[in-house]
Amino acid sequence: MRATLKNPYIYLLFVLPTIALYFLFFIYPMLTSFYYGFTNYNGLNTQDFIGLDNFVNAFQDPDFRNSILNNIYILLFSCCIQVPLIVIFSLLISNVKRLQGFYKTTVFMPSILSTSVIGILWGYIYDPDVGLINSILKSLGLEPIYFLADMKWALWSILITNAWQWMGFYIVLILAAILAIPRDIEEAAMIDGATGVQRAWYLTVPLIKPVINVVIMLSIAGALRVVDIVLVMTGGGPAGATDVMASYMVNQAIKYGDYGYGSALSIIIFAIALVLTALYQIVIVRRQEKVEY
Amino acid sequence: MAANVRKSIPHLMMLVYVVIILAPFLFILFSSFKSSNIEIAAHPFGLPDKWVFDNYKEAWVKAKINVYFFNSLYLAVSAAVVGVLMAAATSFALTRMKFKRTSAAIYQFVLIGMLIPGNVLFIAQYLLVTDLHILNTHWSLFLPYTAGALPFSVLLIAAFMRAIPNELEEAAIVDGMGVLRMFAQVILPLTVPALVTVFIVNFLGNWNEYLLSFFFISKDALRTLPTGMVQFRDAFQMNYALVCTGIVFSVVPVLVIYMFLQRKIIEGLTAGSVKG
Amino acid sequence: MHKKLVSSLAVSMAMSAFLAACGSNDGNNTSSPSASPSESASPSPSASPSESASPEKVENFTVSLRHIQIGDAQKFRKAILDDVVAKTEAEVPGLKFELDPVEDQVNRFTKLPAEMAAGNPPKIFDVFGGAGDTQKYAAAGRMLDLTPILDELGIKDKFLSGVLEPFSVDGKVYGLPIGGNTEGIFYNTELFAQYNLNPPTTWDDLIKAADTLKANDITPFAMGSSGAWVPNMLVNTLIGRVAGEKTNNGFITGEVKWNSPDVLAAYQLYADWEKAGYFSKGELGKDYDGMLNDFVAGKAGMMFDGSWRSSAFKNDAVGGAIAGKVAFVSLPAVPNGKGDQTSVNANYANGYGFSSDVNENEKKAITAFIKNLYSDEMQLRGLLEDGVLPSMKLSEASVAQVSDPVVKQVLDVLANAGASFPHFDSVVQSKVYTETETQLAKLIAGKATPQQVGDAIQKVQDAENAAAAK
Repeated sequence: MRATLKNPYIYLLFVLPTIALYFLFFIYPMLTSFYYGFTNYNGLNTQDFIGLDNFVNAFQDPDFRNSILNNIYILLFSCCIQVPLIVIFSLLISNVKRLQGFYKTTVFMPSILSTSVIGILWGYIYDPDVGLINSILKSLGLEPIYFLADMKWALWSILITNAWQWMGFYIVLILAAILAIPRDIEEAAMIDGATGVQRAWYLTVPLIKPVINVVIMLSIAGALRVVDIVLVMTGGGPAGATDVMASYMVNQAIKYGDYGYGSALSIIIFAIALVLTALYQIVIVRRQEKVEY
Repeated sequence: MAANVRKSIPHLMMLVYVVIILAPFLFILFSSFKSSNIEIAAHPFGLPDKWVFDNYKEAWVKAKINVYFFNSLYLAVSAAVVGVLMAAATSFALTRMKFKRTSAAIYQFVLIGMLIPGNVLFIAQYLLVTDLHILNTHWSLFLPYTAGALPFSVLLIAAFMRAIPNELEEAAIVDGMGVLRMFAQVILPLTVPALVTVFIVNFLGNWNEYLLSFFFISKDALRTLPTGMVQFRDAFQMNYALVCTGIVFSVVPVLVIYMFLQRKIIEGLTAGSVKG
Repeated sequence: MHKKLVSSLAVSMAMSAFLAACGSNDGNNTSSPSASPSESASPSPSASPSESASPEKVENFTVSLRHIQIGDAQKFRKAILDDVVAKTEAEVPGLKFELDPVEDQVNRFTKLPAEMAAGNPPKIFDVFGGAGDTQKYAAAGRMLDLTPILDELGIKDKFLSGVLEPFSVDGKVYGLPIGGNTEGIFYNTELFAQYNLNPPTTWDDLIKAADTLKANDITPFAMGSSGAWVPNMLVNTLIGRVAGEKTNNGFITGEVKWNSPDVLAAYQLYADWEKAGYFSKGELGKDYDGMLNDFVAGKAGMMFDGSWRSSAFKNDAVGGAIAGKVAFVSLPAVPNGKGDQTSVNANYANGYGFSSDVNENEKKAITAFIKNLYSDEMQLRGLLEDGVLPSMKLSEASVAQVSDPVVKQVLDVLANAGASFPHFDSVVQSKVYTETETQLAKLIAGKATPQQVGDAIQKVQDAENAAAAK
């Protein structure tokens, strides 16, 4: 009877295609990245092994270092500015009864749209001649701001667009956790005479900490993943002001044909992602568990 | 009175947020009906002086939005469907069939994929599709899209299948069902909620994907919506109204689907991310 | 280096001679500057290609064709291409071209390099001549040797002397320039009249014009630097003026360094203009079309651009606002500049190349395409409709048909030139060129000094020269 679920042919039939495809497009590219990362492969000529040269060059490359910095700015912005705002807005929505569904639907909407279309859309919002923001500035008698062309503004412009797209997503995530808190805990606090703000801070926030942690994790991963919006809105310009690691890697590989160097950069990005994830798990999540229990 | 004020504060703040979300869409929508850049600049929020519908005809023809739209649609759907079915079959084998140790190893192996950020693989995947001679064909997108969704899909569907009680399949076996029929007629129907979730996540991911589709496809007739729109913008940069029309074309279908399926979409995407 | 130019009233003569100078700039002295065009037109007897006499069953096949004629400003070029495509399809049974439009910069710096690396470029593609493009791809075996086709069609000698050099490796031709251009100053005659300005033909007049326009809240030079190839045009000509017309060819031989005082002086001049506010505000976010838009709308009084832009000033949707009010001059002599101050930049670098991976049918299609595109008729149409200077020899009578005043001025500029120099983008290796763009963007953004710019580019140049020497 058990034999039905022990049919090795069916097992292989069900497992092999997945393993094959997964291996071909995940594991094999990862392995070849490591291989190419140690060569000077450029697609046209034969490749030579050049040891760690690519990695040494990467850390001496001021433009790549600059792109790492930009990723760090994005990460800090996500974690230190976006996350608190996300929590505040989720608390706000959870506190209203009327229009709650409408708020939820609306704030979530941008996250289902294509990043490239959002990049184009916001490119027009920022446009110096006909853009929405500059039209408002002009009507106030102010000078136009060249958002995407000005070294001072370009990264901010991208950060805000990125926040516009993703904040709603996280808000809905946290909102679900808040709404899952049993009513009686809230009610007990209300009887104690706690104000809304007090209740939110002392009661709700500690209860939803696990979800906040998830949001922070996702923000970190998201900050390393930012690339479409940069390529669509600025291409990394002006003068590298918005270049992130991934966009720099893509350009090195595709534009310069430097597949070896690009592969080395991709390994560095992978390593950074692993280290950040591990660090976060060890430092934040573990410590919290200790405190809680 | 004071209570009323306090009650309306959250609404006021949310109102600001909602305006920030919606204003860009209104701006684009109004702009798409305007006749010239000058009119857009003069009254960014005003309704058009004269509603110009020609932009829509022009964009549809010039931008080939129809072509891009169809490409995106069938790629996103087919890759998502195939991915879901493959992941479901694998999850079934891993969680329900009696090869415990092999299954545990395979499961761990597949989950490694969750640690790899997608764009890290970009260059190597590019070289791979080149070697496979599928660059500049839809296969070069279909295969990575399908493969890219597998780790997450297996994770989610496997978790769901584990929760299905054993009695059901024992009953099925008693009834003399083969394993294939059991998978198709007993387990799969029970897993539908997870399958839908996974499908939505994968579909939207594929629908919006930009990096691969920009660099792997160069034939205009094969482009997907995200890259086609960027190309369209670059070609008609100065005709703001026309580009706004293109944006409307590419945004509206998604919003319509969202209107009908919002609950399912929100559940799917958020569930996907928490598990991931 | 031939500086002697045969000055002739016949524009075509002037141009072919001028091209000879250009060719010799590329380090090839075989062509005589007074090469007479008449010697050449001897089509081989077997010149009729493509019409396979066998009326067997027609085999349908498609040939991919990558072009860069996108958007309104390129419509004249696109029309010519469309006609050639239609004609070729009619001639070759079963042939269908699959047009693949890609924006110029994306094609040149993203798509084509990637496809070349992968070994699967389109069968026919837009390509640039020079060490960074055609010569690199040809050396890697990716491009079709056109020499037999040119012999078959008998058109090799129809090309102006020297123009095939950037498309050749070891005497074999791998690409064909579609036309030529020179980069110089377009200015708005109405604005110049309004502010009583002289045409910017001398340095003092140019500076005075720029300062006056600036003082009246008009941008002196429209500039779209989001793609740094646009400001690089001006940098190139400034280097030619300040450091001398021979400078560009010296970078790959190591004779000239990017951080030599002369080249730095050119970058300094650019930085000074930047500081003086001579260029469009927000230029780093403005693209090439945006620059044209500023100039057409009268927001800017001048624009440094290639002569191909002359077709944008016709009385139509793109250039209607400024049609009839545009004039073209070369950059005037720079005080204390080195070399021949009457020299002009001249490029015959853009054209078509063909994949080496073609079958017999595709070769037939390519042959017919070349025959139809590189013909007197299409060359003349390019000149008359689009302001593209012919890359092939045209009769005086043909050239005399030019009626567009701006194109006439372009022809005058070339006729009066004492020497020519190419754009360094068709000379230096592609990595060096990309570095010039990266560094120029930094200079414009105020993130790098001319010295830093020169040092950084020279570093890449040294590495590339060393690699080439290996």
